[in-house]
Amino acid sequence: MKKLLFIILGALLILPMVSTAHAGGPPPKDVMKGVFLSVDDASRTAQFKKSGTEETTALVLGADMQPGDVRLNKKVMVSLDKHAGENVIKSIDIMFMDMSVTKIIALLVIGLIGGLLSGFIGSGGAFVLTPAMMSLGAPGAIAVASNMCHKFPKAMVGAYKRYKYGQADIKLGLVMAVTAIVGVQIGIKIQKYILNHFGNAGSNLYVSFIFMVVLVFVGGYVLYDAYKLSKGSDEAKVSSLALRMQKINLPPMMYFKVAKVRLSAWITIPVGLFTGMLAATIAVGGFIGVPGMIYVVGASAVVASATELIIAFVMGAWGSIQWGLSGLIDIRLTLLILAGSLIGVQLGALGTTYVKDYMIKLVMASTMLIVAVSRGAKIPGYLADLNLRPALEPQTAHFLSQISFWALVAALASAGLIISVAMFRGMVQAKSEAKVKEIFTHG
Amino acid sequence: MDASLTKFDRNMAAAAFAEAGEFETAKEFLAEKQATAKKPEPAGVRKPYGKMIIFGAISLFGYVLLITNQKLVTEAFTMGGWHAAYPVGTALIFSFVHGAFASNLLSVLGIEAKKH
Repeated sequence: MKKLLFIILGALLILPMVSTAHAGGPPPKDVMKGVFLSVDDASRTAQFKKSGTEETTALVLGADMQPGDVRLNKKVMVSLDKHAGENVIKSIDIMFMDMSVTKIIALLVIGLIGGLLSGFIGSGGAFVLTPAMMSLGAPGAIAVASNMCHKFPKAMVGAYKRYKYGQADIKLGLVMAVTAIVGVQIGIKIQKYILNHFGNAGSNLYVSFIFMVVLVFVGGYVLYDAYKLSKGSDEAKVSSLALRMQKINLPPMMYFKVAKVRLSAWITIPVGLFTGMLAATIAVGGFIGVPGMIYVVGASAVVASATELIIAFVMGAWGSIQWGLSGLIDIRLTLLILAGSLIGVQLGALGTTYVKDYMIKLVMASTMLIVAVSRGAKIPGYLADLNLRPALEPQTAHFLSQISFWALVAALASAGLIISVAMFRGMVQAKSEAKVKEIFTHG
Repeated sequence: MDASLTKFDRNMAAAAFAEAGEFETAKEFLAEKQATAKKPEPAGVRKPYGKMIIFGAISLFGYVLLITNQKLVTEAFTMGGWHAAYPVGTALIFSFVHGAFASNLLSVLGIEAKKH
């Protein structure tokens, strides 16, 4: 009983730490969608027609904006600077980027590899898809919304496949998903609190720092575990923490058939909460959800990663409706990523039937650790924003942002490579085993 | 005839018999080879070419429609409110059609899950 109390309290204490900021948070409030009709250079005002209405409003250009920044007759998102006064523009983003063949191909390829990763380890893709879409020219909010809307159908297809392979625990998935949705709500509240008290830069720094610590710690442990398993016995052992958790006999007790675990419903709560908070904010709740299910609940890596897909489906559907209500989903981006990722996710799902448990852990760990590098590269910039260190040289800033982006690409590429090689070897081995068997039976 | 004979073995055996004037036996060896190569697959694992083509065509049609109507979809799908049903519904429909195509595509390519 004491242990349980300790866990719940611990969870509540850690809540603010893992709750993260901007990228995947709630749809922004101080944002208007519409079209600029004209701009007046002398008075630094622009006539703006809001979507869905006929009336026009005069908006004042922010201090560091030029009249040339205002793009006329193109649907834009305008965020207002409430601190600078009424109707003062903070930034203007063109809502829908122009599609080119290169961009379409880029989206298809990223989608395919992202899907492969998702089908294999239950999450992933999102952490690189959102920045990738942004670097192709989509505003942040649109990128998050479009990614969210692609995530739930992808997760649905992946979860269905892995359910058919007998890996997904629907009951565990649904229980986790419900608690995760609560986690999302808490995450958003805390995020707002941090934003109001420490400002954008403070929140960014906090988030990146904590996120990096979590990734390095959890990713490092998963890697250690995978390394141990790869050298030792083939069968993964249930962690001692999970065994202790399973001994806690606090009703209601639940039995999860596929995961082969009987434990108190109260144990899944913290795991679900963490998953929800990460999913809501940076769209990779699986980085906590899957290790949580492996080391706290006691499921195998195969079952945990499959079950994560069910959670991702529920969370993604819920999130997509939220973002859709704000009208921020660019369905072109969503569907183009889906084109590749629906193939990738099925490939990744069937890949899990050929590999041993530690392979899933290995892919998960390497992805998490490389993503941590990407996050870490952003920290000096945030420190400078808060005047905690001298401003970065332009070259250094550029170099760091390049590291951050390419680390994400490297994470995706290396995971894709490991999965492909492991799957190919598994298939070749399975084929030769089948042949040997045939010769023995018929030969 | 031994089923574990390789293609090379069969051809060599056939050549040997043919040189020795045993044309019928030689033919038998070659026929055996053809028979094993053309061994019909069990009904359950026939490759779903038809399904792949049908779902692929519907999916491709959908994507063409999307790319040629970019202005419409970006306008109508982002009005907010109940219009949220448009992007969410479209994503679902595409996932069924394109997902079925992808599944059949993998089967046609011979990439199947390991059977336990």
